[in-house]
Amino acid sequence: MKQWFKSGSPWIWMTGGAVSISLISVIGLLALIAGRGLGYFWPAEVTEFKIERGAQSDTVIGEIYDREFVPVSRLKDAGVDLGNFQGEEVERLLIKTGNREYVDLDFRWILTTDIKSQSNPADLAVLERSKNGNFYGYVVDVEKDGVMLIDNKRTELAELVERAVSYNDEALDLQNGPIGHINYELERLRLKEKALALKEQLTNEIAADFEAQREAYRQEYLVLEKELFALRKKAKRDAVIIKDMRGELVRVPLYQVLDVTFPNDMGIFSKLGHYFKQLGKFLSDDPREANTEGGVFPAIFGTVFMVMLMAVIVTPFGVIAAIYLHEYAAKNSITKMIRIAVINLAGVPSIVYGVFGLGFFVYMLGGSIDQLFYPEAAPSPTFGTPGVLWSALTLAILTLPVVIVSTEEGLSRIPSSVRQGSLALGATKAETIWRIIVPMASPAIMTGLILAVARAAGEVAPLMLVGVVKMAPTLPVDMNFPFVHLDRKFMHLGFHIYDVGFQSPNVEAARPLVYATAFLLVTVIVALNITAIAIRNHLREKFRSLEH
Amino acid sequence: MITVAPEVSAQSDSLKLDLANLTPEQTALEIKNLDLYYGDKQALTDVSMKIPKGQVTAFIGPSGCGKSTLLRCINRMNDLVDICRIEGEILLQGQNIYDKSVDVAALRRNVGMVFQRPNPFPKSIYENVVYGLRLQGIKDKRKLDEVVEKSLRGAALWEEVKDRLHDSAFGLSGGQQQRLVIARSIAIEPEVLLLDEPTSALDPISTLVIEELINDLKNKYTVVIVTHNMQQAARVSDQTAFMYMGELIEYADTNTLFTTPAKKQTEDYITGRYG
Repeated sequence: MKQWFKSGSPWIWMTGGAVSISLISVIGLLALIAGRGLGYFWPAEVTEFKIERGAQSDTVIGEIYDREFVPVSRLKDAGVDLGNFQGEEVERLLIKTGNREYVDLDFRWILTTDIKSQSNPADLAVLERSKNGNFYGYVVDVEKDGVMLIDNKRTELAELVERAVSYNDEALDLQNGPIGHINYELERLRLKEKALALKEQLTNEIAADFEAQREAYRQEYLVLEKELFALRKKAKRDAVIIKDMRGELVRVPLYQVLDVTFPNDMGIFSKLGHYFKQLGKFLSDDPREANTEGGVFPAIFGTVFMVMLMAVIVTPFGVIAAIYLHEYAAKNSITKMIRIAVINLAGVPSIVYGVFGLGFFVYMLGGSIDQLFYPEAAPSPTFGTPGVLWSALTLAILTLPVVIVSTEEGLSRIPSSVRQGSLALGATKAETIWRIIVPMASPAIMTGLILAVARAAGEVAPLMLVGVVKMAPTLPVDMNFPFVHLDRKFMHLGFHIYDVGFQSPNVEAARPLVYATAFLLVTVIVALNITAIAIRNHLREKFRSLEH
Repeated sequence: MITVAPEVSAQSDSLKLDLANLTPEQTALEIKNLDLYYGDKQALTDVSMKIPKGQVTAFIGPSGCGKSTLLRCINRMNDLVDICRIEGEILLQGQNIYDKSVDVAALRRNVGMVFQRPNPFPKSIYENVVYGLRLQGIKDKRKLDEVVEKSLRGAALWEEVKDRLHDSAFGLSGGQQQRLVIARSIAIEPEVLLLDEPTSALDPISTLVIEELINDLKNKYTVVIVTHNMQQAARVSDQTAFMYMGELIEYADTNTLFTTPAKKQTEDYITGRYG
């Protein structure tokens, strides 16, 4: 035993074990969120259950969502009659029944002991709707342009849904594109006019000119509005009549329907196709129904945009500060204290930065900007309210220490012989720094940036104070002049997870989305990091140092 | 251990100068009563000498004798050391380089320096050579190309690298890198070239090439070389200064110093009794 200790192998086992445990936890975590999240998009089988308890009988149609064992005693305490069931535990299923507006709860527990029979009929349809979630049932009739169809119902239905979706998309494009543009321009006109009025330069001529411009926009708007209504009307013509699990016929207008599937009738390939279609929608669509349905595109965009803006702000600041500390500052105790202070800044809880950002950036800086440059918009704030710029600045301060520390490390690794070589050729210190030192330190700067991005992309707490919202109507980048709107609020994947998981009205329905979004957030961070690492490796290769 | 005084090049016989009484035209550098302190420690004591123009002058002496320190005074590299303090004068073209009005960058353009270890920049061969010119704001491509060829030829490197001028300088061997550094220094046409043990990190063949190069360089530049290697000093230099413990012990033409040293300490050193 003593021999074994002396041989050093316990240390190998201990250190190796620590690495294994870390690896297992990381892989386990990723596997869990990936499995839970990505499974959500797989078209689940829809089952019809015949339930009987005592004299009551019922039909339940839905997807099996979860299953668990419950102790019999607990059910008996709750007054559930289990008949002559023997055993300690009984299995129960959580069924997602959809049809939210027609039943009390769209999720329902049923005990396996109550199930009399269950089947997966091939003609069970799942309607994905833009409101109220999924609808499950049997297609009875299809109404095309107000006329009931006799045959080919299923193929016709698929075509009609596609048609309705394309009308809806067109209407949405019209609304967000040209109509949104007109509203934006009208608002700008109003602000311009008000600005002139505040400066008392608003003559009758100018006012008339404004009025004329407004009138032109209004005319344009009327035309577009007509088009919009026509599209909406077209989309409303068709409907589908469905028999739901209560046995009643329900008329579902097709403009509410996004997709019709018969999952029990699908082969593996059509299921795969459907899976990737749903995944694509998740990545590219806007959220619906208080974020519990639809996609997360605005959140992805917001996260990436904000992180990149942060990187653009923090890199020059951090690098310049590090250069001063390392190259110019006298090597005395004050510099040492500053350095320690900078390192300790990294340990300040992030919410504190959020409070600082709100107080300093939003209220003080933003408020002053509004007073100076946007008096016409008062009392509604332009920059004096949380927004993407303030979020990026707050996170830039949060990640500044990381960039400074790793840049300084990079600077100190550069051999002094290279500096002297440059100085000996008649370069000044500044020339040496900018032409030789900074390029050579750029891999270290990139390392700092990678750490900063990793930290910033996952940070949520401070953002809740300085710019993130549950639902942003517009992206921070669009086709309206000046194209990049740094004053706008934005959506963020991290906050989206919190919002969907804990603030949504239907937690059960949203749970898989939480996992899917979490997995997506990890993917986005990894993608950002891999990009940065690739750039760093390229730079390293270029400035391979003189260690030979 | 060297027991016999090394062979001295025949060249230096023909060019005997009276080192103590050089005329201003013959003088490239004049060091006057130079004292140098690192903090409280004195590293150079009352060094005075005249370095003749267009010749190779070698500083020899045991480790820590101050020969490199003295060399680095000539282009004010010691300014980089915070605790370094200098008294006395060094005159370049009659002007004290430690005068307050002197632009250090301009001085270093006039006094080039090559270090012990090759220190090319992490750039292409071409960019390494034109670095000094770019600092001066020269952008004309033709002029730069011309200087690159001339400097690389001057450093006996052109034939080896002319096909890969835009490759990284790190791809060169140690000896080639050192010649590149010399090319980089002579690209800005300094008057004086300081070589701080330029071959101590190189293999014998590269050393030989550099030594031949030094012989060619003295036609255009005043060369001051610090070396550990007495044979090298004997082979390449016209004058040799022997330093010991921060003092200049003996300064004479190389032939005299190695064959008939005036001081006992010099004789002990060159015959290998210490150092």
